[in-house]
Amino acid sequence: MTKDDDRVKEEFTSEAEELLDALSNDLVEFESQGRNVRPELVNKIFREIHSLKGLAGMLGFVQISELSHNLEDMLDKLRMGKVEISRDLLDLLYDAVDSLNRLVIAIHDPAMEALVDVPKLTSRIHALVSQKAPEQKGDPLAGLEIDEQTRKSLTEYEEHRLVENVKSGRAIYLVEVTFDFSDFDEKLRAITAALSPLGEVISTLPAIDSSGGNGISFRLLYGSDADKAAVIDTAGREANVRSLRTGASAVAPADEAVVAEPGAEEDFTLRSMSRTVRVDIGKLDHVMNIVGELIIEKNHLEGVTRTLQLQNQRMVSHELVKISRNFDRKLNELQKSVIETRMVPIGQIYSKLGRTVRKVARELRKEIDLVLRGEDTELDKMMVEQLTDPLMHIIRNAIDHGIEPPEQRVAAGKPATARVVLNAYQKGNSVVIDVIDDGRGIDPEKVKQVAVKRGLMQPKEQIDLPRACELLFTPGFSTAAEVSEISGRGVGLDVVRKNLQELKGSIDIISDIGKGSTFRIMLPITLAIIQALVVRAGDENFAIPLTSVEESLRIRGREITTVERREVFSLRNFALPLLRLSDAFQVRDGRDTSSPDTKWFIVVTRAGERMVGILVDALVRQQEIVIKSIGDRLKAIPGIAGATEIGENEIILVVDVGSLIDNYGPTARMARSGR
Amino acid sequence: MRAYVTTLVESFHDEEEVEIVEASSGFEALKVLPHHKLDAILTDINMPDINGLELVSFIKNHPGYKAIPILVISTESSEEDRKRAEALGAEEYLVKPFAPEDLLDKLRRLLGKPSA
Repeated sequence: MTKDDDRVKEEFTSEAEELLDALSNDLVEFESQGRNVRPELVNKIFREIHSLKGLAGMLGFVQISELSHNLEDMLDKLRMGKVEISRDLLDLLYDAVDSLNRLVIAIHDPAMEALVDVPKLTSRIHALVSQKAPEQKGDPLAGLEIDEQTRKSLTEYEEHRLVENVKSGRAIYLVEVTFDFSDFDEKLRAITAALSPLGEVISTLPAIDSSGGNGISFRLLYGSDADKAAVIDTAGREANVRSLRTGASAVAPADEAVVAEPGAEEDFTLRSMSRTVRVDIGKLDHVMNIVGELIIEKNHLEGVTRTLQLQNQRMVSHELVKISRNFDRKLNELQKSVIETRMVPIGQIYSKLGRTVRKVARELRKEIDLVLRGEDTELDKMMVEQLTDPLMHIIRNAIDHGIEPPEQRVAAGKPATARVVLNAYQKGNSVVIDVIDDGRGIDPEKVKQVAVKRGLMQPKEQIDLPRACELLFTPGFSTAAEVSEISGRGVGLDVVRKNLQELKGSIDIISDIGKGSTFRIMLPITLAIIQALVVRAGDENFAIPLTSVEESLRIRGREITTVERREVFSLRNFALPLLRLSDAFQVRDGRDTSSPDTKWFIVVTRAGERMVGILVDALVRQQEIVIKSIGDRLKAIPGIAGATEIGENEIILVVDVGSLIDNYGPTARMARSGR
Repeated sequence: MRAYVTTLVESFHDEEEVEIVEASSGFEALKVLPHHKLDAILTDINMPDINGLELVSFIKNHPGYKAIPILVISTESSEEDRKRAEALGAEEYLVKPFAPEDLLDKLRRLLGKPSA
């Protein structure tokens, strides 16, 4: 395998994936439009398959090119009304796109190919295409006073669209316009864009200036539910509007009220119209690393400046402060724009999720209406990639455990079709993704039964919703009566939480028995460079990511109280559990830690819905840090996200608040109460 | 496709004196028409703005352009469109995918040159 081959594969894969993602989205829309799918959408799907075929054929990916070729044929017939929209067609389209996806993966992982049966799909396509097309009675265009030249210039597709418009009872107009040769294209596009929302511009025939001038005339064939006055109004005074046939009904049936997007008829060529550049994420990683190194250098510079200030070297330090401020500003800009280039809309994974939901719902015989919101919300590319699996798992979980079977739903007075909403939005420096279902909700008592059976809790222990939710994230927990094929993949919600924590994110559950549950994922927008609070505990400095910090307070030892053997601080009537950082990491603290006069700082931190006050000796400063991995050997130590360099030769640990709470909450409590 | 055809026709350049005027849409084609004295026109059927048949219809009804021979290129599935193109007066028709030699042959025929 040569390097060039690798590059070809790489480029094909990313382009094919983009096309297939778009296709998946379009299929979901296709399905939602029932039997009256907008012609623009069918065309778009046709073009996407056409592009994929071209690409695969050019680069010699035979199976992909063959399958997409057959699909293209079928879609062409669909465009022409020679194939009917049916459940079979939709299933076939979904299965085919699924197989195409697998074939693309198979380029890198040949094992995948075994999961695809191209001949079978091909024969399904042939079977569907050879089904008898709906009979057409007589010439549907018979009553239309259409001039010979216009009719002769219609492509087969345009004629089909004309027939469809006539059949659906729309009025057909001939809109004639004459423009100056210099700007006819702009003017015509403007008219087409104005007409499109009210109907369909079926064809555009150019002709010699009908007024005898030097311009050019166009005859637009236009199907619409609007009356002639409205069409004249929209097309403008210069237009000559003639009605070729009056609509059967002035009012369109509700499902016919489709609105065409202006400009939906796009370029048919493979030429890319977008002003974007495709960049290997590895290259962006590299740029990001350099920015990271620069930030470390900047921190050095600031360190030196501070030292000089302490040594009263006013002149020099004053200059340095100025330089380092400017440097800082520019560096911030650079960093911001690099981060921006890495951002991609989360909608990229929505299409994959849509496919999974369809499949899972079908297997479990549940009816699911998936609502996707906030697809424009942006996240770091790497995060989006790593988010797919956890999200997929949560959605599967919701369908499998959360959603009741249709009969049960109806009995409970709910619609048989359940709703799963995926909503992504930005909140400060975080992105929140809610997976909301309207299923049965989480019943703490049921959770308890399982937990007791699994030995995770005692029968006499009390359970409430927060505790129940915690248990769901405990390794080895599953509420499914039997392990189903869907959720029982040997992975539990505990793994989901772990994966999200690796992304510095958190997950929480909000639930209402009988009404449904929300799984709320919170993630930082990017991982690479973060704002952190540098704190001192004992002899060591630590960095706490600012995204986890709510506030900080200065207190004395006497303000720490003990409730149920656990140290707490009364924060505005809320008993905030405390955790001594020096205890968690066993750092020597030379001070008298039990004296009521000892000064402390509480850093109030939050991981999802869980809060804890981290007790530290001092707050050092707030600064930007670049998190570096500390290597596999130390990876197992919980509570640590990595290490960072904050000044010349000073490397400190970065605290991972989520896993700190998970792992040291109980330990810290025991250690203190033991005194 | 367009780039491919352009490259092909350019290769033709070596043996004949050929100058290529490119248009990326139906509108663009209409715009370049008055500015060049064309010996032949190659057009796809599926194009943005106006389709190939409409372009053929315009050219064949225009006193200034009707003599220019036209080669229509389209996909195999549009047999019906081929008939229509011929009815509108297009001289030649070529089905995608095609061999390079086929295109050049048809082009030579349009230009009244003997085939190589």
